Amino acid sequence: MTVAIWDSNQEPGLKEIMDDFTKETGIGVDIQVTPWGEYWTMLEAATQGGEMPDVFWMHSDQIATYAAYDDILLDLTDKIERSDKIDLANYPENLVNIYQNEKGAQLGIPKDIDTCAVWYNKKMFDEAGIPYPTADWTWEDFREIAKKLTNKEKGQYGVTIKPGSYQESWYSTIYAYGGEVISEDKKTSGFDNPKTIEAMQLIEGIIKDGSMPEYSVVAENGTDALMEAGTVAMSFQGSWMIPELVKNDFVKENCDIAPLPKGPNGTKSISNGLGWTASAKGAHTEEAWKLIEYLGSKEAQTKQAELGVTMAAYKGVSDNWKNAQPNFNMQAYLDMLEDAQAYPSSKNTQVWYQVLMERMVDGFSGAKPMDKVCKDFAVEMNQFLAEEQ
Amino acid sequence: MSKVNNKEKKLTNRRRAEFVWGWLFILPTLVGLIILNIIPIFQTVWQSFYKTGAFGRGYIFVGLDNYERLFSDGAVWQALINTLKYAIVEVPISIAIALIIAVMLNAKMQGRSAYRAIYFLPMVVAPAATSMVWKWLFNTEFGLFNHVFKSIGLKPVAWLSNPGIAIYSLAAVGIWSVIGYNMVLFLAGLQEIPKDYYEAAQIDGANVFQQFFKITVPLISPTMFFVLVTRVIGSMQIFDSIYMMIGTGSPALKKTQSLVYLFYRYAFVENNKGYGSAIVVLLLVVIMIITIFQMIAQKKWVHYN
Repeated sequence: MTVAIWDSNQEPGLKEIMDDFTKETGIGVDIQVTPWGEYWTMLEAATQGGEMPDVFWMHSDQIATYAAYDDILLDLTDKIERSDKIDLANYPENLVNIYQNEKGAQLGIPKDIDTCAVWYNKKMFDEAGIPYPTADWTWEDFREIAKKLTNKEKGQYGVTIKPGSYQESWYSTIYAYGGEVISEDKKTSGFDNPKTIEAMQLIEGIIKDGSMPEYSVVAENGTDALMEAGTVAMSFQGSWMIPELVKNDFVKENCDIAPLPKGPNGTKSISNGLGWTASAKGAHTEEAWKLIEYLGSKEAQTKQAELGVTMAAYKGVSDNWKNAQPNFNMQAYLDMLEDAQAYPSSKNTQVWYQVLMERMVDGFSGAKPMDKVCKDFAVEMNQFLAEEQ
Repeated sequence: MSKVNNKEKKLTNRRRAEFVWGWLFILPTLVGLIILNIIPIFQTVWQSFYKTGAFGRGYIFVGLDNYERLFSDGAVWQALINTLKYAIVEVPISIAIALIIAVMLNAKMQGRSAYRAIYFLPMVVAPAATSMVWKWLFNTEFGLFNHVFKSIGLKPVAWLSNPGIAIYSLAAVGIWSVIGYNMVLFLAGLQEIPKDYYEAAQIDGANVFQQFFKITVPLISPTMFFVLVTRVIGSMQIFDSIYMMIGTGSPALKKTQSLVYLFYRYAFVENNKGYGSAIVVLLLVVIMIITIFQMIAQKKWVHYN
């Protein structure tokens, strides 16, 4: 049986869990990793060609495309009802709902949940004489601290935020200020909302303060790489980055984790979770369900957390995940679950997301004022959303 | 009478055998071409008249809608300009350098095959892998080039982020990666030129440059024409280095994305295969026009013996 995933960081841990499954059931499993950039091209082509993997990861950006047809993803509704291992009440409701189609059929079981937090360089805080961030810091505090941590002569900057780190950073800012990316009914853009613009202007302020490296440096380097190189004192990282970050010697020696800053509307970490889905037309649908059932079970979810792969989607078993990395303040990520914001998406997220990334380059590089970028984009996004209906 | 008949029969048998074998030998190529190239071309053209759904389902005929959008889409025309700019830089420079290297490596010298192998190496390595290395070399903050620039007191250059420069950085990588391929073709062409011509020229007192321009260039012009046509087509299809080295979020993307990059974005990222198809049809037409012009122009400069 084939299983497709996109994150090679998670492969070793998942392999271990799948081996347990094979021992229990005798069903062999082959994990295939395709990087995120090509994963969806691969899956789309595989779907069209009738060669889908038996079990695979699904993302909230993409589920609507796949759920629009009845014969692509295996309908798990009845199987879940008959199962003694899976009870959907054990997973966060918004995560369960993501993997339903419009008729309410359950097409996926939550695999994990992610939140975002700030990684900071303790040494740079010490040198600047700034106390380490605590849970009650605000975005205004953040802006001030980033400014103080900047020392251009040393080539040291407060923070790096780029259009592509939307999920970890500026989407949260938007919701923390009471704005929104997309309306609840997914019919209108939130980018002309004054509160959204206020949040984006705060980001613009951080850039104008000179607290970030030049935009070319921001664009060419990952936020993690700039932190690991000692160029920036703070960076926003999703919990999915942890396996990679904790392996880095520089990070081990200098860095720790703080909760996201607060806005007038709370913290609002963007929280998303992957789902396990199966091919409806595969040759092994029974085995595929057995695997998904196993992966969603308390036992496998606990192990996934214990191995430090990701936070569990299963409620209450993630303490083990925290303990897997005793040297870092992993609790920050768990705290973020309490005031989280579901990942904003629509039926065809990619269409407006691609344009958003393009427009935000102008905002982040300073080519255009942020409020104009936001207002102009809102018009475009509303057109795309109207076409979706 | 019967003898003649037999002979004729034999001939036709042989001809038939030749006919069958001939077709049999080109069959694999033919089948490959039809399945992998010719059918997809027609499918793409057909698709460009449709509003497409995901997974090849729910197609709706929309006539020329995709083309209407295409003609009013500034990004497409900018991409066409980017693509042409790339080709105009990459093709002539890579051909000139490759020809010079080929002439030098055609002379008798020690370690000739080693040099040939080294020049050909970039062609063998996967473009994705070389792009990663170049991306690092070009990096504004940590790259080798700017490190050298800074150490000799020059200002660092945003090789891949400056919209005015990035396309030339990409072209430089393109030139580097394709020189070996052009060189091998030129070497094959050079070995066809009889040595006597050079000997005769030397007796007449022609120097090295005169020999190069009066003998080598005209006699290698058929190879040059072949390289030119294939390289123009190849460079117009530039995609991987843009995808790997520029990508979303780069301030230079608008000024570097090629037609194939736009096609990829619409067809595969946004799942709009209809519009994506219209973009590649445009590319196909542009390449066809350029190639036709080259076919006409070759009569002026290509010497077939």
